[in-house]
Formats: sequence, structure tokens, C-alpha cells
Amino acid sequence: MSDLANIEQSIEGLLALPPYAMPPGQRHDALLPLLKQELAYACECKPSFRNYVDHWPADFRTAQSIADLPYLPAAMFKGDPPLALIASSQVTRTLTSSATGSQVPSRVVLDSITARRLTKGIVTIIRNFIGPARRPYLVVDTKENLAAQNELGARAAAIQALFPFATEAVCCLGQDRWGDSTLNLETLLHWVEEWKSAEVLVYGFTHVLWTRLVQPLQSQNIRLHLPNVHVLHSGGWKRLEQTVTKKEFSQEIAAVFGCPPERVIDYYGMVENVGVVYPDCEYGNKHVPAFAEVVVRDPLTLAPTMPGQQGLVQTCSVLPTSFPGFLVLTDDMAEIIGTDGCGCGRRGTYFRFARRVPKAEVRGCGNLETTRVSAASGSDL
Amino acid sequence: MSDLIQTEPCPCEIAQTVQRLRRHVLQQELSPGSILNVLEQWSAALDDRQLRHVSGIPFLRLWLRRGTLEPILLRELGPGALNGDWHENGHARLRPFPLGVVGHWPAANIEIQPILSLTCGLLGGNGCLVRVPGGLVEVTRLVMQKLWEVDRGGALIQRIAVVSFDHSRTDLHEAMARTVDGAMIWGGEEAVLRIRALPFAHWSRIAVFGPRLSVAAMDAGAWSNRKDRTAWCRRIARDVWQFDQQACSSPQTLFLERGSGCEPEEFVTDLRSAFQAENHSHPRTEIEPFRASAICQSRAAWLLASAENRAWFPHSPDWTILLGTGGDIPTPTQGRTLTVLLVDDLLEAVSRFDGAVQTLGLGVNDPRKDDALAQMAGRHGVDRVVRLGQMHVFGSPWDGVDLVRPMVRMVRHVRSQERETPLG
Repeated sequence: MSDLANIEQSIEGLLALPPYAMPPGQRHDALLPLLKQELAYACECKPSFRNYVDHWPADFRTAQSIADLPYLPAAMFKGDPPLALIASSQVTRTLTSSATGSQVPSRVVLDSITARRLTKGIVTIIRNFIGPARRPYLVVDTKENLAAQNELGARAAAIQALFPFATEAVCCLGQDRWGDSTLNLETLLHWVEEWKSAEVLVYGFTHVLWTRLVQPLQSQNIRLHLPNVHVLHSGGWKRLEQTVTKKEFSQEIAAVFGCPPERVIDYYGMVENVGVVYPDCEYGNKHVPAFAEVVVRDPLTLAPTMPGQQGLVQTCSVLPTSFPGFLVLTDDMAEIIGTDGCGCGRRGTYFRFARRVPKAEVRGCGNLETTRVSAASGSDL
Repeated sequence: MSDLIQTEPCPCEIAQTVQRLRRHVLQQELSPGSILNVLEQWSAALDDRQLRHVSGIPFLRLWLRRGTLEPILLRELGPGALNGDWHENGHARLRPFPLGVVGHWPAANIEIQPILSLTCGLLGGNGCLVRVPGGLVEVTRLVMQKLWEVDRGGALIQRIAVVSFDHSRTDLHEAMARTVDGAMIWGGEEAVLRIRALPFAHWSRIAVFGPRLSVAAMDAGAWSNRKDRTAWCRRIARDVWQFDQQACSSPQTLFLERGSGCEPEEFVTDLRSAFQAENHSHPRTEIEPFRASAICQSRAAWLLASAENRAWFPHSPDWTILLGTGGDIPTPTQGRTLTVLLVDDLLEAVSRFDGAVQTLGLGVNDPRKDDALAQMAGRHGVDRVVRLGQMHVFGSPWDGVDLVRPMVRMVRHVRSQERETPLG
């Protein structure tokens, strides 16, 4: 059996397990050798990746802990062409992050087997939070974002990832003549009327849900009476930081939908760690599934932090084999709450997201943002 | 002592403060000699355990010494500068006078910069209003406290006002700009552009320092010489470590000229040892998460960019050496990340510089090459060419500009009647 076939078999084995039932030690013992195999495979596929791994201060083959393995900063996925372990002919889809403004988005490439595996990963996780049944699915977005495309943005990917839970999907946002998305109230109220007593699913990007659905409904004093809804949202709080706290957000959403606040579930995920999402449990903690791990690193030492100490989030996932996204150091800050024993009953590492890494606070005399050459070329415009 | 640094004053308080300083400057002329006396005492007082953790204090102590400052005054202000006398200049005579009140906007990344900037204004006989960035308030307070202790007659402290307010308080920046007679502005691009655009009076003189980056270079004779190499590496490490490589004078790239027959890895082994030793002596106690992330990115980006590139670094973000080839200066990462680039010809590499490069630190065995590199660097925008290990030695001129002279007026006096020259 080839190395890749061995790896695939091991991943399938982990995906088949209940995601939050494995004791931490057992999980570590399962993940560490598999991650080493994946690193070795990536080194074979990509000489430049081998160059990086070979220069790591310690040999990954002798590592005793997942935290000792070489990790890639998430910014490495912003390159063009994307960092891939497959030939371009094998790429079936490229996922892009939701970078805004002048930010460069991250891009990861998927082949068909990785894509299937990533879907399976998300389904396994979400099922644990909302149950396995298929149900009517309201997408708080425009229908343009439902279309299958070769290059898929983070919003579209998140919407499509929940299709396995849907009997049918309806989008409740439309576009006005300036291209801005607006709430289609008629569509929304019709859908609510049709499914008001059923188990239903709603998903939207966090800021879209707030600005395009909740605020317009609040301004018209409309309540939706959907006691059996699960409202899932993701995409981060950056655009809402000054507007609403997370707690207020959940309460307001629950009030608008007419459901208990625990049915509003925020989850954390990113393109570079696609296939793994981290929904909040009823205790407000994010849990790591059996096929993944999260390490939080102290910025001063880059060593793993103690529970309760904030640091940089490193995600670990065995799922991708089309790109080297096994061990990714993100630009997010979080704290590990515990390594086992959350009150919700889910086993393994649990953590809380804190914030994005703030940009440099001190810009001193050594911070040159434009050179004379680039300034001069800018003035030619 | 509690009001050593006034925080968040209102615009009218700033105007009143400047008026007070100006009145004092007009009423009481201070001879350079008496200024130097107080600064010398201040230097001695800074030898205090309480200040040992402050990066740059050893240098500040040296800077404040009479032996350092006298030659600077003589060179910038001419003979007679030390006595405050007029000096003859053909048919005329010249004498420096203060501008009045100088506003100081130091950068936020160098702990002692508010003090360095302040002393430049004081040496010209000016009153000084210093806006200290929030992160430097405590350090500045500690250092200023020592001046308050030694300046019992108040010769200098009556000429100084220190304020601190948030960088976003445009009204307070404007209040400073409107009332001062001169400005010394230090810092990053965004800050410099914003401050330079403030409504200064038309007579105000403005001196801008930064933002810049700096580079080191060694010829083959220097880096391949096993006997001297350890000392060179120690000097490079010292230059990299000071100010966590965030100063405009911090080396970001080291060019090594090929041609020695010695392997660059051999040199890097010594450099790595020097970095480890410097890190042991001066370990980091804190780092911005942004910086740690940027350091990780620079390591990965360098090694992924080419399978030929090499790197040395520990698990922590403490230091990083990136080794490769090419004559272009990579985007600086800072945070003790030095890119070592092999080039065939140092002169060719230096000929690619532009005004972005402030300091070229040299380790060169061949004196003719040293001179040729200085000549080439000067033509291509570099303002300082110094020996490795001395890249941060604050001296005049800095950024190609004098430090005291821009904040004085050189008054020319042509007498209405010729005086008889005494026969001698």
C-alpha cells in the first residue's frame, strides 16, 4: 500500500469515530504518527516544503508531541500559485478566505478526495450539535452564493457545507440595483409561515446575519416565532466589535427568531483549516474533534501555553492531503480552557477564541512603508 | 515631581506652557558651558540600578558627557560655540541664538529617543516641549526624574515641558504645532507625514528624522578571517539586538561579498553563536503577538521561496538568520531577523540603494574598499557609513542632518563702524 493510501485509511478510521468521545491521550497517540506520515508525504511532494521542514530546529520524525511538529503560518496560503501537494490538473476546487479591503485572501486547493473528506469532517461535527436529520435550510445570503463554482469564497463554502443537513435551501437576501444585499422580507415570512413548527436550520455569516436580517427585522418590530430553529453563524466578529457583544448578539438573534439563545451557535473556522469547525457548546467553549487538535502558543516563546493563558492559535488537522494544511499557525488569539472534562460532556481540548492578532501598535523610525521607488511610481498615476 | 509629565492637557494649557517656556528663554540666556555641566551631572545620575532595564541607557550616559557633546557643538555651531561668544567671520561676526521653543515628536519604538531629541533642542539654548508616546511615559519619567535631582538651580528644567496624549488627539498636536518655533520629528512614515502636515507657523523650522532602514556589509577578507570573525559577529549581534531591531539604524540585511574560498555556513555558525550569546545576555521579556507571527512568516516564506535558501532559528521567536543570495534588500521583518545575502560585488549591491537606507554598517578589511563603499553609499542616498557594532551610535549629523544647528538661528552681525585691529 502506498504512503498516501495508508494515510487515507487512517484518516477514514478517525472520521468514522464519534468526534468528541476519545480520551485525550488516546487521541494524541492516534494523531501524532498520522501527522508525521502526512508531513513526510508533503516533503516528498514539494521540495520547498521539505526545505522548510528540514530547517525546523528539531527533526519531526522523533517528535514526542504534536506541539513539536513543524507548523506553517497561515499567511503562507496567500501565495499565488497556492501552496499545493497535487498537480494543477488534479485540482477540482479552490477555496478562498474572506479577506476584505486590501488584504490578500488565503487560497487552498482541493482534489475530489480531500473535498469529500472535508465535507465529512464538517458534517460529523455539526451533527453532534444539531442532530443528524435533514431539515429546511434558510440561507441568510443571496442565491448567487449558492451556485457551484470552481473558486469558492469562504461564505459560499460555509453555506454549501451545511447542505447535507438540508431538505431544501432558500436564500432570503436579494440584491438591490446597486448590488448591495438586502432582506427579501416576503421570501422570509413565507418560509417562516411554511415551517414555523418544524425543526429548521438557518445559517449566515455573523455580520451578514446581524446587519441584513436582525437589524432590519428589529427596525420593523418583526419576530419570527421559530422555536425549533438552529441558527448557525461564522465568519468572525471583526466588523461587529464596536456594535454588539457576543452575548447580546445571541440574545437578540434568539429574540428575533423566537427560540432559546442556546439554539444560536457561533462557530470558528478558517479556509486553511477547512473540514474542521469549532462550534460553541452550551458552556461557551469550542471543542476539537477527534481528527484535529488545537495548540495555543505563547508569542514570547512559541511554546504551548498553560490553560487560561492567551496565545496564538495553531490548528492541527489530519484531513487535507491536497495542500499542507496539517499544522497551521493562525493570526488569531485564544486560550485553552482545558484538555478534557468540559461540562457539556464532549471530550478533548476545549478553548475560547479571544481576538485577531492586533496589528503592530508601535510604528517607529524603522518602519518604512513605501520606498522612494514605489512612491515615485505611485505618483505617475 | 508628580507633574513631570502632563497627561492629556487641553489645547489652552499647551499654549500657556509654550508661552512660559518662551518667556524663560527670552529672559534668561544660558551659556553652552552651563548646559553641558548639567548634562554631565545627569549622565552620572543615570548610573542607577532602577534604570538598568532601559534599553539605551548606557548609550544615553555616553551621549550626555561633555566629551561627546563639545565636539558636536564646535563642529555644528563653530568656534566660540562653547562660550556663547560671537566669532569673527570675515567682515562680520556670527553667533548662534535659540529659535525659541522647540516641539519634539519622538518615535514610539526607541525608549530613550524623547531624551535624545530633547537634548538637541536644549543644546541650542531653546525651550523644549516634548510629546512622549504613551508607551514611553514611564521610562521617560524615570530618566527625567534624574535630571530633576541634579538640576537644583533649575537651569534646564525650567526650559522643559513634557506632555503625553493619545496619537489620535489632533487638537493637541495642532496646539503644539501652532505655538512652537521649531520641530524635531522622528518616527515611522505615517506619523511623520501626519505631523509634518500640522499647522506650523510659517517661520517654524522643521527637522525630520526617519523612517529609514539600515544594512550591514562585509568584504570577503573580513568575514572569512577566522581570527577576527568572532568579534565581527559579536558586533553584528549587538547592532541587531539593540532596540529589538526596530530602529532606523538597525541592520536588517547583511551582505557578504564572495571570494574568500571560505564557506558562508562557517561564518553563519559563528554568527549563530553570537546571536545565542547576545540572546542569553539580553533575553526578550515581551513581544507583540503581531511580531511573533511576522517572524514565523519570514522563516517560512524564506525557506518555501527557494529550496536553495537556508535558515537557522530556535523554536522561539528569539532570533533568526536567513541565508541566501541576491543584491536586493528584502522587506524587513525586524524582531532580530537578519537576512544574510551573498553577493559577488559589494559595490554593485550598494549601488542599488536609494534614500531608504540610512546607515551602512561595514566590516571591511580593505581600506580602499571601505572608502569606495562610503563614496558609493553617499551617492545612493545613505547618510551614515560606520563600523559594525556602532550602527546605533547617535551622533551628528544624523540622517545627514545636524542635530543642534537646525534648531538655532545663526545671527550675522556686521558692525556699522570698522574697529581698529589691535596691533600685536
